[in-house]
Amino acid sequence: MSRKQAAVWAVTLLLSIGLLAAGVSAFRDRNYMMISMMIACLSCVPFYFSYEKKSGSTRRTVILAVMVTMAVAGRLIFGMIPNFKPVAAIVTVTGVYMGASAGFLAGSLAALLSNLFFGQGPWTPFQMAAWGLIGFFAGLPFLKEFLKKAPGYVLYGLFAAVFYSGVMNLWAALSIDSSFSWKAYGAAAVASLPTLAVYGVSNIVFLWLLSAPVGKKLDRIAKKHGIF
Amino acid sequence: MKNHTDVLIVSQNEVPSFGYLCRSVTNSSDGRRELEVRAAPSRKRSGMEIFMNEFSRRHPAVLFLYYLLVLFLTMFAVHPAALAASFGGAFLFYLAENGVKTAMKDLAYYCGVFLLLAVLNPIFSHNGETVLFFMNDRPVTMEAILYGAAMAAMIVSVIFWCKCYQTVLTTDKVLYLFGKTVPRLSLVLSMSLRFFPLLKEQAGRIGKAQKAMGMYAKDSLTDRLLFHVRLFDSLLTWMLENAVETADSMKARGYGLKGRSHFSLFRFEKRDGTLLGAMGILTLGTGAAAIGGMYRFHYYPGISAMQTGLWAVASDLLLVLLFLLPFLIDVKEKILWKISLR
Repeated sequence: MSRKQAAVWAVTLLLSIGLLAAGVSAFRDRNYMMISMMIACLSCVPFYFSYEKKSGSTRRTVILAVMVTMAVAGRLIFGMIPNFKPVAAIVTVTGVYMGASAGFLAGSLAALLSNLFFGQGPWTPFQMAAWGLIGFFAGLPFLKEFLKKAPGYVLYGLFAAVFYSGVMNLWAALSIDSSFSWKAYGAAAVASLPTLAVYGVSNIVFLWLLSAPVGKKLDRIAKKHGIF
Repeated sequence: MKNHTDVLIVSQNEVPSFGYLCRSVTNSSDGRRELEVRAAPSRKRSGMEIFMNEFSRRHPAVLFLYYLLVLFLTMFAVHPAALAASFGGAFLFYLAENGVKTAMKDLAYYCGVFLLLAVLNPIFSHNGETVLFFMNDRPVTMEAILYGAAMAAMIVSVIFWCKCYQTVLTTDKVLYLFGKTVPRLSLVLSMSLRFFPLLKEQAGRIGKAQKAMGMYAKDSLTDRLLFHVRLFDSLLTWMLENAVETADSMKARGYGLKGRSHFSLFRFEKRDGTLLGAMGILTLGTGAAAIGGMYRFHYYPGISAMQTGLWAVASDLLLVLLFLLPFLIDVKEKILWKISLR
């Protein structure tokens, strides 16, 4: 990590803490919604910054755009079946084969773009952060190889489902009761259990279906043109 | 070929299809050929609708600033008048942009969302001093119900602002605004947007080729599933190869080199300045009113009294004006258009 990148991380962290403090003191514990939305937006900044600064070819960027398109198209195609979506799986594969920051970009942009069709709202920053981080974790160097094979991606699919649902419950809890309470969060978590199950199943099914063939294609194109 | 003067008859009768319907009629009495063209009333874009989106024709930077301002004010608002003004502004703007039918349908849906959110708050929050009744030995207070309603109004207003946002700040405008600060990010965004129609087109082509070869011709579920798997497979390969080609072509044209300029249609005009000025004055006014305590309001422990008097009305009016700006601009243009047609 370069010094500049570390500085961006530090500034983001400080800003987030400052926002939290402002939310607690200046706004007397109200407006958690606004504060958390701002933090969700802020959390994307260092990832975007690190991708901007990374040296890489235009080819790599365009291929990333293809993966984002695939994720959004997947969400659209499976629009009929609620919550049964290949987005997390495609984002995971992108992270594994293209690296952590590319994974983050794929996840967050897939959320932003697909919400053009599904509707933007206060939930968009939360979705961006959640899917983005799913892609980011999948691309971490020590996880990559593990996630390419069978037990790895099943576990990661479950983790992604729990993580995504955990972040989205935060938004649900905040929309019920604008100041954060564990009780509201717990209620939201319980209410979302069936959805969580669908997330888990769809993640595992799509990772099982997609990770080998899509990974093979990405590997092939990388070798053929010498990209990643 | 003499006497063959073509006569063009243009009539505006109702024709079921879009565009123009041509019909050649040969008039036998004097040997002239008449070509009748019926103009079908295009349902897609009448003059009215073009002028409905007047607000979205403002400069992207001004629009973006307005959105930041409105979302910020709405999310920090606790005063009922401010919330009502924000919802009113968002809904009327949505109505002006999307027509009465769509707006009413959405209003009905979000009324349900509003009620649900408003009812959920008193279940989790037992603050407040006016106890209405007990549920499971827990007090349900009037304050919690009203606070829930206020928060629900805030969320529904934000949703309506976001719904309008999609038609006002389209992707090309966002790219224009941020293309220089985050070039790669905006490249990914714009390229994947372009890939959607491309993807659809290619999927159709591959599908037709598969069918022409006689593959997956049966109507069974497995056949259809295999068809889609194969479609996805070849589609992805094609998209990736295509992406590499696109990237090479971009590089050949000098993408990413220093000193490259970008084309855009946006210019900062006088009307943008006017809007920006109005926004600035209204923001300063509301800021002053907020410092003066005109929007101070609390729900817990008891509902605070509403501010009364001339200053309170004036400060509420400022907020109403600020939130109504897009609607007013749309409606003004609509009226001007109607007058000009007379």
